[in-house]
Amino acid sequence: MLSIVHVSKLEKTFHVRRYHQGRWASLQNLVTRRSRLIRAVDGIDFTIEAGELVGYLGPNGAGKSTTIKMLTGLLVPSSGRLIVNGFVPWKDRRHYVARIGAVFGQRTTLWWDLPVIESFELHRHLYQIPTGRFKRNLAEFNDLLELAPFLDVPVRSLSLGQRMRADICAALLHDPELLFFDEPTIGLDVVAKERIRNFIRHINEERETTVLLTTHDIADVQRLCRRVMIIDRGKLIFDGELARLLERFGGHHRLIVDFAESYAEVAVIGAELLSYSDQRAIYRFDRRKITAPALIQAVSERYAIRDLSIEEPDIETTIRTIYEKRLL
Amino acid sequence: MLKLYFEVAKRSFQRTLTYRAAAVAGLATNIFFGLLRVAILLALYGDRQVVEGYTVAGVITYTGLSQAVIAYLSLFGWYDFMYAVHRGDVAADLLKPMNLFSFWLAQDLGRAVASLLLRGVTFMLIYEIFFDLTYPTTIWAWLALATSLLLSWLVSFAWRFLVNTAAFWSPNARGFGRFAFLSVLFFSGFLMPLAFFPAWVQKLASFTPFPYLLNTVVEIYLGIVSGPALVEALLLQAAWALGLIVLVQAVLRFGLRRLVILGG
Repeated sequence: MLSIVHVSKLEKTFHVRRYHQGRWASLQNLVTRRSRLIRAVDGIDFTIEAGELVGYLGPNGAGKSTTIKMLTGLLVPSSGRLIVNGFVPWKDRRHYVARIGAVFGQRTTLWWDLPVIESFELHRHLYQIPTGRFKRNLAEFNDLLELAPFLDVPVRSLSLGQRMRADICAALLHDPELLFFDEPTIGLDVVAKERIRNFIRHINEERETTVLLTTHDIADVQRLCRRVMIIDRGKLIFDGELARLLERFGGHHRLIVDFAESYAEVAVIGAELLSYSDQRAIYRFDRRKITAPALIQAVSERYAIRDLSIEEPDIETTIRTIYEKRLL
Repeated sequence: MLKLYFEVAKRSFQRTLTYRAAAVAGLATNIFFGLLRVAILLALYGDRQVVEGYTVAGVITYTGLSQAVIAYLSLFGWYDFMYAVHRGDVAADLLKPMNLFSFWLAQDLGRAVASLLLRGVTFMLIYEIFFDLTYPTTIWAWLALATSLLLSWLVSFAWRFLVNTAAFWSPNARGFGRFAFLSVLFFSGFLMPLAFFPAWVQKLASFTPFPYLLNTVVEIYLGIVSGPALVEALLLQAAWALGLIVLVQAVLRFGLRRLVILGG
């Protein structure tokens, strides 16, 4: 396989101005400048192979967007090495951006006051897309994203979901080899999110476009990404398969039991009793220490059971635990 | 390459046309203040027929012309690029495979042409109802005027963009902008024809790009400069435009290294 993204020891620091507070604050602010150095990205390393679809996660302010902005050539790194698709993004920005696509959920690249199609047509000129290719791509994306009803509507009149679909289409018209999505489903309803996920998967599978995706929506990750990277406070704290993340940090399954009778005490060895009331007990267990059948057998040997179910560890809880406890 | 400029300019032109109500309001304001300026200047003229090469009809035409190009040259200030940097919208521009300055230049061209038609030509037509205006008489004079107008827009845009690049160094560069744009009003001959000012002010102005932004256009329109002086005026305009563009590109290269796009 061929690596398309090389990142090593990448850093980005910002000076954030701090203002004085108190009675003489405005005077102090006038004559002195205090600033704090923020390490938004603090020495990260990773590579991405051509054709991969990678989820890039992390709490707010962890450095996700800053990384994406460096990868797309918008920001100049403070130090470290960054080579994408054979380019140093910020140095050779114009040639580099001609072959990538980027969607920032919070911003639009479309012309606000003009019909959507005008922005698309401008892209045809900007990226010198051959007319045939342009028409085929537009037809394909129209099928998948249902753009036709609002192609002639000014961007300012679009709903958020429509605008996002239009922005995604605009980012793809020139057949980029690499796609960056920064929170593409932010603020969208369930149906709109699902449509965009299907589209991203389609692009990755059918066109073999490499995709790097940041999101706060765990469903995005579950549906789309085999590999995830987690960044926190500027440092990459996990890089690997989603399944491995669950194994390592979400090792706890839950067994929910409804008893046929009332028991005063329902503890079993090998599982932790989380709650017990109204003849229902919830146990938490680690599958690496005790298997589900063994636990069920242990419970059923001692108590009469009416019903039971097992809950898989879910990724949302796992990631929340990682963010909260800073497990890694 | 020119095709791309045209396509960007075309969209910006369309965008400006969508704000028709704003254009009408601006036009009304321009006319009101035009009449006011005529009243003041005529009071100053008193019995005199010619002052520093400006006849009465000439000075009236001067007020019309300078009011008519307010929107075309964004004489009262322009902060669009500054806002784009502060709000981070410049990200969308940087994702386009086009030189950032050229992209904005092409956009401003579209805006300027639309403004020249909506606010400039319309203004002169309405002004013509109130006053006897003078016009260039030969095809060459019209050509020189057109060239001068185009160059004045280039000087104006390069200056405006240069002022806006202060956004890379300061989170609030509006104060600096106001000073920079007030200087334009003063030294470009917008408040008064530069010829009316004392020699030392004219001397001072001649070291700045501002006279080439408006005063030159006026003098060419009224035929105050002609022959070799006219060619020299056009060359100086072109030189300032070129010099400012080179400077802007250099400043931009440093500014982009400092760019910070916060949030989302």
